[in-house]
Amino acid sequence: MSTNTNKRIVIFLISIITFLIISKFLFSALRENTIYFFSPTEVSDLIELPNKKIRIGGMVKKDSISEENKKYNFIITDFNKEISVTYSGILPNLFVEGQGAVVEGNLISRKTFVGTKILAKHDENYMPKEVADSLKKIGNFKRK
Amino acid sequence: MNNIIGNSFVLLSLMTSLTTSFLFFKKNYSHYLKTYIASCIFCFFSFIFLIYCFVISDFYVSAVYQNSHTTKPLIYKIAGSWGNHEGSMLLFICIVALYGFTFCYYSKNFDNKFKYLTVFFQNNLMTIFLIYLFFLSNPFDYVSSDPIQGLGLNPILQDPLLLIHPPFLYFGYIGFSLVLSLVLSGLINNSFDSVWAKLSKKWVIISWIFLTIGILLGSIWAYYELGWGGYWFWDPVENASLMPWILSVALIHSLLIMEKNNTFKSWTALLAISTFALSLFGTFLVRSGILNSVHTFANDPERGLFILGIIILIIFFSLAIYIIKSDFVEKKYNIMFLSKENFLVFNNLFLILFLVIVIIGTVYPIVLSAVANQNISVGPFYYNTILAPFVFIFLFLMGTGPLMKWYKNDFDAKKNLIISIGLISCILALIITYLSSETNIIYILGLIFSFYLIVATIFELFSSKNLLNFKQYLSKNLSHLGFGLLILSITLNSFFSKEYNFMINVNDKYVSDDLEITFEEFNISKEINFDQFSTIFEIKTSDKSFTLSPSIRKYNQPEQLTSEISIKNTLLKDFYLAINYSSIGNKRLIGARYYENFFILGIWISSLIIVLGGFARLFVRK
Repeated sequence: MSTNTNKRIVIFLISIITFLIISKFLFSALRENTIYFFSPTEVSDLIELPNKKIRIGGMVKKDSISEENKKYNFIITDFNKEISVTYSGILPNLFVEGQGAVVEGNLISRKTFVGTKILAKHDENYMPKEVADSLKKIGNFKRK
Repeated sequence: MNNIIGNSFVLLSLMTSLTTSFLFFKKNYSHYLKTYIASCIFCFFSFIFLIYCFVISDFYVSAVYQNSHTTKPLIYKIAGSWGNHEGSMLLFICIVALYGFTFCYYSKNFDNKFKYLTVFFQNNLMTIFLIYLFFLSNPFDYVSSDPIQGLGLNPILQDPLLLIHPPFLYFGYIGFSLVLSLVLSGLINNSFDSVWAKLSKKWVIISWIFLTIGILLGSIWAYYELGWGGYWFWDPVENASLMPWILSVALIHSLLIMEKNNTFKSWTALLAISTFALSLFGTFLVRSGILNSVHTFANDPERGLFILGIIILIIFFSLAIYIIKSDFVEKKYNIMFLSKENFLVFNNLFLILFLVIVIIGTVYPIVLSAVANQNISVGPFYYNTILAPFVFIFLFLMGTGPLMKWYKNDFDAKKNLIISIGLISCILALIITYLSSETNIIYILGLIFSFYLIVATIFELFSSKNLLNFKQYLSKNLSHLGFGLLILSITLNSFFSKEYNFMINVNDKYVSDDLEITFEEFNISKEINFDQFSTIFEIKTSDKSFTLSPSIRKYNQPEQLTSEISIKNTLLKDFYLAINYSSIGNKRLIGARYYENFFILGIWISSLIIVLGGFARLFVRK
């Protein structure tokens, strides 16, 4: 074998190994930093409760927000199932009853959620895309 | 009436551009350029006319009706003409025309097939988008309902930066259309060689400068106007502009090899095609309504599909021409060799890797949502953790590569130099580590590698043998220096910046460690087109005491809240306060977001130095 062929084989092997290492690295980083979104209906259908941070979203149920010592309780609904959320962080602009909202945090049970962050939205016409999608899925989009 | 005038300009532009293509096939070159110029000018007229319609608030014109309002300040009436989908498409076409027009002007002394071919491709691009504009997204559509008042412009977009941020990005994106036209015409004309590279380089640099400034302005806008509290969020919309930027940097470097060696032609051609494709893809992603953001104007799937169709068409034709014409005999080169050109190859490999990382993070959620109906989002940690180690190696290569010689294996001769630069940067990093008493390993590595690039570049700047030599490498040195400073600022920023979020009532106090924030005043006042909720906060840190006064604007047309932030700048850090407003029943709730952001000024300045490098290439070394 000529040295040239040898070199080619070496380069080829190095590239393959580098490629594999990088892909492994990339996909594990991707898996660790992916946050899944669920609607209340999807949460109630879960076989097993996720043990990492998720996002839930739907409409904030009318007359459901209450405050006690800067702790907020409210209900997220998709007009099919409901989840009650406790939250002690900062409320975004235009967080009002009867509007769409996405909350990031952890599920305690299928009915209760501890929020760590409420995602901001841009204006009053804007419904978070995930919420619109999930409402469409169960046919409740027009009811808002 | 104005609808008809506007539409006539668009139609005239479309007709003349079709005639231009026809004359090209007839090989009637004497009239060919004239009709092309005419079609460009009609296009400019239609855009100027649209601005005029906005200024006089002619609500019979649909773009004006949907995005303007008589109470809006004049300057935002003008900016409103590109603050919407239809108007921004017209601006897009005008810039395509402007690049073609400028190219004609600069090559007016040439009279060859290469020039005609380039104009031909540029013209076809204009035709396709004019057809799209006229039939699917016409700003001059007639509003038949006798409108008295417009619907208003999204208040978030009412900012002086809006006047320049989108046009800069467009000038960047669309500049690559001319680069693509140059590549295709070079390929067909069999003149795709080092002379071509020399001629085309300035257009790549110009587009790159615009794109870089556009991204920077977007970042500044998010920080000061949107009140996001930071400079970069790996938001899909930001990524959409970063993707073509990464490729354009790769293209600039591969053009260097092509100009020097007359090799790497296939690769350069592919990069140029992909850069423009990604620019269009970015526009598609942002405008189609796939992503929800302040940039999404139109949620019309038909338009999205049409733009996607155009992208596929352009990629298909470009690749077809590339495959047919790219039978270059490329010079063999030795990859084991540590020469300058191989460092440039590494540069390209790393940039492609960065691109892949960004594309996967951006596109994976979209694909998953379309295929599996599962909504996910990818957090910023994905990008930060995976990019950091590669950026460090990249910094080392960036500092070392330029020390090498073309063709020759010069590594051994420069070994001592590299070790000394390495030592200096380690010492500098250790001093900073000691002063800041932060010992995170990523932090220290970030310092070492960014200092390595900075020291190596400064060494190069001052070791220039003569003025000519200094001028020759000035642009490279400035951009590399800027990049080193940028990564340094980002490293320092990400390890020292702090964020406090809390709900607070008037006269309440928030205490955390050395920090004490008192909410002193809340006032409501009425302005012309919004209500203002102003606040005054007293901030006490361990060594300073000052007041910040952020406010909330409640716009009525359309109804929306925007946060006006309040900042106290110091050289090292920004004290940044923004408030949120919400309510339960009649109870007002104020949320405060307080940030101490380090080296934000450093980030802006180093980005400007990167851009300055581009200008140096255009004006210092021609």
